[in-house]
Amino acid sequence: MENMTNNQVMLRLTQIHKKFDELEVLRGIDLDLKKGETKAIIGPSGSGKSTLLRCINRLEIIDSGKIEIKGRALAQNNSENVAEYVSEKEARDILSCTGMVFQQFNLFPHMTVMQNLLEAPVQVQKRKKEEVIPEAEELLRKVGLFEKRDNYPSRLSGGQQQRVAIARALCMKPDIMLFDEPTSALDPELTGEVLKTMRELAAEHMTMLVVTHEMAFAREAANQVVFMADGVIVEQGPAQQVIDHPQEERTQAFLKNML
Amino acid sequence: MDSLLHTVVLMLEGTQVTLQIFFITLIFSLPLGLLAAFGRLSSLKLVSRFMEFYIWLMRGTPLMLQLLFVYFALPMVGIMLPDLVAALLAFTLNYAAYFAEIFRAGIQSISRGQYEAAKTLGMTHKQTMRRIIIPQMIRYVLPPVSNETINLVKDTSLIYILAMNDLLRVARTIVQREFDMTPFVVAAVFYLIMTAVLTWGFKKLEAYYGKYDQ
Repeated sequence: MENMTNNQVMLRLTQIHKKFDELEVLRGIDLDLKKGETKAIIGPSGSGKSTLLRCINRLEIIDSGKIEIKGRALAQNNSENVAEYVSEKEARDILSCTGMVFQQFNLFPHMTVMQNLLEAPVQVQKRKKEEVIPEAEELLRKVGLFEKRDNYPSRLSGGQQQRVAIARALCMKPDIMLFDEPTSALDPELTGEVLKTMRELAAEHMTMLVVTHEMAFAREAANQVVFMADGVIVEQGPAQQVIDHPQEERTQAFLKNML
Repeated sequence: MDSLLHTVVLMLEGTQVTLQIFFITLIFSLPLGLLAAFGRLSSLKLVSRFMEFYIWLMRGTPLMLQLLFVYFALPMVGIMLPDLVAALLAFTLNYAAYFAEIFRAGIQSISRGQYEAAKTLGMTHKQTMRRIIIPQMIRYVLPPVSNETINLVKDTSLIYILAMNDLLRVARTIVQREFDMTPFVVAAVFYLIMTAVLTWGFKKLEAYYGKYDQ
């Protein structure tokens, strides 16, 4: 899979620092995500991996460092080494090529599955409903939920809700997909269907950054694995190498506990 | 029998005044309450503090006092309002404060994940409020709004102090004139009917806005 990715950098993080009060959760993170690449971020809870993901699309604000998406800076340091963001409007434009999937799905409960998919393309991209519907139907077929199109989210299982959430993000035609522990809130027997959808996406060379506890998924579906602990990247490299033959002691200890 | 019919006719006229106050107050105080709730939740300290003060003032003093103030005190500083307008002003300002607190609680009960999902889909704050937060909030606030609305039906009777002939004042006038208690019973029945209609209406609304949760 390695050579399927070309070298265009879709996302570049440089020296990201982030504090919550006195606690420094990100301590100088550098990370590149290339086009078509699936990168998994693993690590113990509290290592800052979810925070890092949330910094990419402004769900958290960084203290210093640089965030570039497809070559455009979302935030970068001023002369005092404090990160400054572009305007709200420009930020929305820069981030319009990203989609996000949450641990808690966060579907809109007052809208049907179909309405959840149509909402952003129609309201944000100002596209015609009739034009988006066939695409939304196609995505629902892809995640195997076409027959649920008129159901409300409360009628769906967690796994089904998460697949709808993936379809909702894809309906905006993003170039980069961010996954924040997409299976952590699911019953074990439901994680498989979500991981299958994600594997298919990875196989289609969607550019993906996935925070996950699923080692099997990281090993098989990701090209690259990043191991984070205590707010720094301890080790990164090709997925199977990092997971099967970790070089660092911290990585080895973590993986031993996971398996 | 004839006199009962006459009583009912008179009281229907009183009911008109009651309903007029009721509907106009509702039409103004609901949107005003929503605005006040947004103000209360505003990140601008000045706006938020002002709304807090307004809500405290309105909830912290009797509605009766507010009515008297608008009716008697404002003219002393040169603000003359027609009777009905004065009553409506007091009612609207008072109820908006209660609605504001209900709406604020409703808005705050929506999980952060909803805002975050909307944000990552590129929605503006305004779009998020209009399309995602408020429609969900309505569902949560319907029961307390229903409560306040029923209170309002009965609170309209306070305007008797402004010498306006609402349902209760008409009833009292007849009772005092004819030493017959029937008008009180008729008034009670009228209030109960209005409350029943409201209860039924809110039940329908709750079913409509709750349909996605079954």
